[in-house]
Amino acid sequence: MREKRNLGELFAGFTGLAFTLLLSFGLVIGLIFILSRAPGRTIYYFFVGAFTNKYYLGNMLNVAVPLIFTGLGISVAFKSSVFNLGGEGQIYAGGLAATAVCLALPAANGFLGGLTALAGAVVLSGGIAGLSGFFRMKWNTDEMISSFLLSSAVVLVVNYFITGPLDDPKNNLLATLAIGPQYGLMRIFPPSKLNVSAFFALAAALLVFLFMYRSHAGYEMRMCGLNREFSRYGGINVSKYLVLPMIMSGALHGLGGGLMVLGTYGATIEGYSFGMGWNGIAVALIAKNNPLGVIPAAFLFAYLDAGAKAAMLNSDVTFEIAAIAQSFIFYFVTAQALYGLARKRRRA
Amino acid sequence: MTGNSPFSIPLIHNAVDIMTPFLLAGIGGLFTELAGMLNIALEGLILTGAFFSIVFAAATGNLLLGILLGILCAMALAWMFGAVTLYMRANVFITGLATNLFASGFTIVLAFQLFKTKGVIQFPGIPKLPALVVPPFLQRIPVVGDVLFGHNVIVYVTWAIVLLSALVIYRTPFGLRLRGTGLKAETIVSLGLNPRRYQMAGILISGLTCGLAGAMLTIELAAFVPEISSGRGWIALVAIYLGNKTPWGIFIASFVFGMAESFSNYAQGAIKVPVDFILALPYVITVVAMILYSIFRHFRARG
Amino acid sequence: MPYLEMKGISKLYPNDLLANDAIDFSVEKNEIHAIVGENGAGKTTLMKILYGLEQPDAGSILLGGNPVTIRSPLDARRLGIGMVHQHFKLIPEFSVAENVVLGIEPRKNLLFVDRNAAAERISEVITSHGFSIDPRARVLNLTVGQMQQVEIVKMLYRKADLLILDEPTSVLTEQEIRKLFETLRSLQKNGKTCIIITHKLQEVMEISDRVTVMRKGKVVAVRQTAEVDKAELSRLMVGKSVLFQFERAKKACGDPVLELVDVSLKQRGRDRALLDGINLTVRSCEIVGVAGVSGNGLGELEDVVAGLRRITGGRILHNGEDIAGLSPATLRERGFAYVPADRLRRGSSLQSTVTENMIVTSHHRFLRAGFLKGGKIQQFAERLTKSFSIDGGPRAPVGTLSGGNIQKVILARELASASNLVIVSEPTWGLDVASSQFVYEKILEMRKAGAGILFISSNLDEILGIADTIAVMYRGRVVAFLPNVPDLSKERIGEYMLGLRDDFAPEGPQRKGPQP
Repeated sequence: MREKRNLGELFAGFTGLAFTLLLSFGLVIGLIFILSRAPGRTIYYFFVGAFTNKYYLGNMLNVAVPLIFTGLGISVAFKSSVFNLGGEGQIYAGGLAATAVCLALPAANGFLGGLTALAGAVVLSGGIAGLSGFFRMKWNTDEMISSFLLSSAVVLVVNYFITGPLDDPKNNLLATLAIGPQYGLMRIFPPSKLNVSAFFALAAALLVFLFMYRSHAGYEMRMCGLNREFSRYGGINVSKYLVLPMIMSGALHGLGGGLMVLGTYGATIEGYSFGMGWNGIAVALIAKNNPLGVIPAAFLFAYLDAGAKAAMLNSDVTFEIAAIAQSFIFYFVTAQALYGLARKRRRA
Repeated sequence: MTGNSPFSIPLIHNAVDIMTPFLLAGIGGLFTELAGMLNIALEGLILTGAFFSIVFAAATGNLLLGILLGILCAMALAWMFGAVTLYMRANVFITGLATNLFASGFTIVLAFQLFKTKGVIQFPGIPKLPALVVPPFLQRIPVVGDVLFGHNVIVYVTWAIVLLSALVIYRTPFGLRLRGTGLKAETIVSLGLNPRRYQMAGILISGLTCGLAGAMLTIELAAFVPEISSGRGWIALVAIYLGNKTPWGIFIASFVFGMAESFSNYAQGAIKVPVDFILALPYVITVVAMILYSIFRHFRARG
Repeated sequence: MPYLEMKGISKLYPNDLLANDAIDFSVEKNEIHAIVGENGAGKTTLMKILYGLEQPDAGSILLGGNPVTIRSPLDARRLGIGMVHQHFKLIPEFSVAENVVLGIEPRKNLLFVDRNAAAERISEVITSHGFSIDPRARVLNLTVGQMQQVEIVKMLYRKADLLILDEPTSVLTEQEIRKLFETLRSLQKNGKTCIIITHKLQEVMEISDRVTVMRKGKVVAVRQTAEVDKAELSRLMVGKSVLFQFERAKKACGDPVLELVDVSLKQRGRDRALLDGINLTVRSCEIVGVAGVSGNGLGELEDVVAGLRRITGGRILHNGEDIAGLSPATLRERGFAYVPADRLRRGSSLQSTVTENMIVTSHHRFLRAGFLKGGKIQQFAERLTKSFSIDGGPRAPVGTLSGGNIQKVILARELASASNLVIVSEPTWGLDVASSQFVYEKILEMRKAGAGILFISSNLDEILGIADTIAVMYRGRVVAFLPNVPDLSKERIGEYMLGLRDDFAPEGPQRKGPQP
């Protein structure tokens, strides 16, 4: 039961998106001209730098991986009309859970150990988000605010573990002990950090898509998201679908964090996932909450991230230019006026 | 200064200082909330005010001028937030996030450009915020004296703003129309009024108060710390909801948060609990309060 | 020269609906002029144009002989035109005074609202027109009739001379309608001119001086009220005379399917119970009509029987078993079908396709290992779309369908599986004649198949036409439960509906005289 839209609407959607991106990039270019003493060089590295060598390219794709997971997590929640604002804490805690499991296991089979670690991440983060969902179901507590508050507290608690019980005394980094190398994920594009978690991400997007649009529970979840009163009238257990989407959302975030640890970092480093949660929201929005659309949307943000890094390393601007570029995209991506322009032009 | 009398309670005295940014941001945010708009940009507005106040204060050598310019910058950012949301019809939640993201990135980029560093920027020349001068006997009044007096000017300005806001919201035509916009915008439209004007006004007011809140943070510290707003904007939003969207409610909620943070500062020294847990305390207390409140409301409705 | 003239007004909506087609409309000074037509005839659009809420694509407006442009309600009000909408534009949390002065608040010291001046001026308007509202009362505490009065006061406060009322009686009780007519006559005496939009012919005959009949976007007739009768108006409105007459079953064929025994529904904070000791029985092959003015418990009855609200006392039995507290899903498994009054929010998911709407109650049937069988579902939807003649096809979003088609989707879904109890509420509200016929036919089919039907409606004509047994509700109680025999008149049912008659009063059957 694919949601078919007529071709016209799809076109308007793409045109609107194109406007958004053009406008945002235009503003970034303007900013670069103001801030940089070598604007041409900066612009080159910002827009093209990510493709100039394997290291940049691979790392860019690697950054897209957790964004796909957080984007999926948010799109599942949004489609069900619940609001998970705790993504930052959920992904951060997922990584810690995976680390802790690996550290606790005796030197075991890498594959099974890794799987257990990811399971731990899924359970912990799913549980944290599920808590907000539970309170929403039971007592109508606003899950948007409660998930945000819990996540803020969780971030601090994770920091405690990083700098306390799990701290690695041998180095000066704010990081936990490293997990055993047998749990690490295979690199697929050296010298970059891109690893097999990229395949997990693509598989996850496909699975979430199949779930939402082909499965029984996915149908019920979407109906609840569109009209809860109707769903209840039709016999769907609406309470269940206040909690389940939150659990799934948290689980996806946690999975993303766990894979970041296993694949890229090998330990939980302070702040390793900061920003992934918020960007997940933007990714979901650009993708219009469609699980498959999350993939290109995640690439867009990874591209910005990589461009900023390349520009920073090769020119004279700071990395935070990426944040500004992202904010422009955020500003315009939901501006109906831009989409309306496309539609009006077609009518005339 | 606190501790001037045998009956001073540093805990409460500090709470009053700490609660001020929450209160300022909350009152400003209240205007947007009453107009029916969710305003999560408070965080970014505070950060903007914080940065530009101290930068302009240092540049002009004049504290007041610096603060005013800082507020103006925060209002400019608020204007951008409002314009895109209202006139380009964007999703208010996302534009709020965008505003925070922008403020966060922009302040660091600018700091780097101007001061060549992305870390803490000290401004040794900045004077301390003047404190309100009162006759010493007032300060020695048991308990109340210490709580009410000895704070810096901005604290008292804030109280004045709160009172003024209550008056405006409940006694003026503007306030009536603002509330009407939030309650039932179609009625406002049917009367020939434009709801977006009132929503924009609410946003600009939040820019004003948040700018002042940010100014207080940096000027008191005589330094700019990246992300100095550190969650205060979000707490202010929670205060608005817990305070049932009334000025008095926000005042009380802000006070509770102020007490929680004051306590956690105090406890950091005295109690052997890891720092992170103490920092997490305000969030945990708020969640618990929220849940208890919804349980209360749930059972009251059931009868 | 007419006081108001609208010449050649046309309005085309973006979805290609020609709401007004070169309409000429005029009103004399000081008259009460009615505009009648079925739903969708274009009456409301025309008045929205007059009040500045919509702009015409063509045509002109003259007031007192002078051409005027009305671009917004502000312009309209400056010209002395006021409108009372069908759905009130009042802010429930504000007081009467605040609602009336909103936008033109009297000032004290330039900055503050002068509440006393406002209250004084409003009181003047209130008393001089015989209303009795407290300006300081909060609107949400008022009755519907009083809210309407506040809307009228709003206009009079702004010195309106031409008042437009859009379906003013649709939400009022008989008593409140009387009061409204008194008000209109008093306004007429005070020199005001009134335009009433309505589809209730009885009221047109009672209150108006002249009547304009519209059909499908055009004006088809203008008459002096004294020179027409209801039959002719009805003919002009619809093009043919409409009568509801159906075969009635002689006797219910079976056992009770649904029994309500002393059912109560109380809500905290409300003194009067929403449902107060309801006793009702529906048998198989029987249509039980439930009549009443909205606000007297019909909606609550619907909610509790459908399992969407929990009763606080009594029992509900289905085939002899207690079903109170069971979930909607379980009730459906037991054979319930339910066509809700709230078609758009409860009965449909407007953003979903017809197919997705159709399977919401039955998607369990199309599963294989947790996944939905797309092919089977498509077949199912296509079959139903065809047999119910639903325009638009299975893939159309329900929100793009007309009211009649939306109701067909709901009926198709509900009647697709065999049911022993069907609950329908306001099934033909807002539907045109053809769609209404369709609904009645389907309901009669269900009865033939052996279902018991609970037919809740505020439309007395259709209940008298279709029900085998009639229950009347007043203030949350059943005050009558009568077989539908030919000599059961509308007037008698009306008495029950207004609380003037009560067969089940604790003190014994009552009949009261006219209430004050």
